[in-house]
Amino acid sequence: MAADNTFIQEYSIKGWDFTRAGEASCEIKNILKQIGVSQDVIRRVAIASYEAEMNVVMYARQGTMRCEIDTTKIKITIEDEGPGIADIDQAMQEGFSTATPEMREMGFGAGMGLPNIKRNSDGCEVTSVVGKGTKVAMSFNL
Amino acid sequence: MEKPRHSIRFVEEKCVGCGTCMRACPTKAIRVVHGKARVNDERCIDCGECFRLCPHDAIVSETTSYADLEKFECAIALPSPVLYSQFAPDVLPNQILLALKKIGFEYVADEAWDCELTTNALQEYLDTSEGPFPKISNTCPVVVRLIAMLYPNLVKNLVKLEIPRESAAKKFRQKASKSREIPPEKIGVLHITPCPAKMISINHPVGLEKSNLDGAIPISDIYGRLLEALKNLEEDIVLQLSSGIGIAWAISSGEIMGIRQENCLAVSGVHDVIRVLNDVEAGRLNDIVFLECLICPDGCIGGSLTVQNRHQARRKVRRLVKMFGEHTRVSREMALRLYRGGYFNLQAEILPNPLPPLDSDPGKAIQKLKQRDKILMTLPGKNCSACGAPDCRTLAEDVVLGQASIDDCVFLTLEKLKRTA
Ligand SMILES: Nc1ncnc2c1ncn2[C@@H]1O[C@H](COP(=O)(O)OP(=O)(O)OP(=O)(O)O)[C@@H](O)[C@H]1O
Ligand code: SF4
Ligand code: SF4
Ligand SMILES: [Mg+2]
Repeated sequence: MAADNTFIQEYSIKGWDFTRAGEASCEIKNILKQIGVSQDVIRRVAIASYEAEMNVVMYARQGTMRCEIDTTKIKITIEDEGPGIADIDQAMQEGFSTATPEMREMGFGAGMGLPNIKRNSDGCEVTSVVGKGTKVAMSFNL
Repeated sequence: MEKPRHSIRFVEEKCVGCGTCMRACPTKAIRVVHGKARVNDERCIDCGECFRLCPHDAIVSETTSYADLEKFECAIALPSPVLYSQFAPDVLPNQILLALKKIGFEYVADEAWDCELTTNALQEYLDTSEGPFPKISNTCPVVVRLIAMLYPNLVKNLVKLEIPRESAAKKFRQKASKSREIPPEKIGVLHITPCPAKMISINHPVGLEKSNLDGAIPISDIYGRLLEALKNLEEDIVLQLSSGIGIAWAISSGEIMGIRQENCLAVSGVHDVIRVLNDVEAGRLNDIVFLECLICPDGCIGGSLTVQNRHQARRKVRRLVKMFGEHTRVSREMALRLYRGGYFNLQAEILPNPLPPLDSDPGKAIQKLKQRDKILMTLPGKNCSACGAPDCRTLAEDVVLGQASIDDCVFLTLEKLKRTA
């Protein structure tokens, strides 16, 4: 990627801050609309980035969402400082969730976030170090 | 004569360029240029926020006036259920309908009954719809325009049923034409409206080729006359057919009151509506079957052409709902028959109408975004709006698009002056 043809933006995400939750993914969505990305890609990015953002809000202390956009690709990387995920394969399964009763009351905890990220992106990689944090990197082809 | 593009108009002589409207506009459609507010027609969704807030009466609504009644050989009033909430606690819907008759409408129809009919159709629609969910109500013209413009992905979620004021207008025009033996075009069907937005859905309808209504008269315009007429009503016939289910359409959550499904959600107020649409777009509300979105706070009783404060109005609606019951007076069989016979079918497709990107070439659009952020870094970030744009970011965007100059920023210009002094 030639740097000057790439639009880069970084947002910070705070753990357990539900009043601002979803703002970063919403910003990215607006940027994509201004670039003229197709509605289908916008829809998929909206869903995937929102799920990743909410996982940071719910499970981690803090994190960042970085998006890189050029004319061929959108890359979104969410990195957090938090408990990490011990068994990533298990976490990626539909329905697996460690959400607390409080989180479920707020409508989360279906265990569909990570599977939905995978389904809606054209590539996604989850890496994690227990006790340190988690990184979700996803990409979308244009 | 060409129909106005929007339901509000700025009166240039009265505008002092204070920018109150500009800061309130949810779609950033307004700029102050050479001391006067100016609207970008492409971005305006007719929400009426600017009209509501202008401290100098420089914004007027492009609605129908009471005097226009004379243009028609026969006038039919189709009052929004909101009208019932605007009078003292002891004034009942039937009296209000009689008062409408007295002030010059030959026929007066209880639109709340048609709302109730639509509730029944909506129930069937939701029962048989295959998604995508949530289905979003299409009754507020502003919400329909907001979705088409900013959430084109959600256009397919909009309920595909004709809205009550349109289906009612069609029906009553036919009826009156028959009984009066005059051609339908000599009849004026006029909605009594709580908001200017209804006018835009009449002049530039979405989901149908041509509106069945001839105009919309503001509640605030005929209120005084109605009060006068209410003082001595001679006639005593039954005009109100609706129960509480139809009357409830005046308030937020009214459309779901008569619906069996449990997973319904009602949201009102422009900022909450935008928030919930973001959630829907992020795929977070797929378990909701029906989402009622109304742009005015607390629903249509919060419309900018009402006279009663909306908290009192809400109380009155609650009272009326209790009084006339939550048991529909519409025969379910009849509603089903009409539904299956296509009575509620939309006459035209609702189309997405997204805002254009910064540039039609994506590479150039990216360049412009980067440029915008670069300019934004140099701006003071005070969002004072003295430049004529609602905030620094919008000014930066306007500069990139060649619609403003960075020198419009008073802080930067002041600094420049200080340095050269
Ligand atoms: N950033 C993260 N840090 C720590 N644990 C995480 C993180 N993201 C996900 N997990 C773990 O993986 C599990 C599955 O995540 P996923 O997003 O698929 O479902 P969920 O968040 O539990 O429910 P839903 O997303 O449907 O509301 C979570 O319950 C949690 O245990
Ligand atoms: S009606 Fe609403 S969208 Fe249109 S200019 Fe006024 S505030 Fe903006
Ligand atoms: S909520 Fe009701 S009153 Fe307000 S703009 Fe929409 S239709 Fe009009
Ligand atoms: Mg999740």
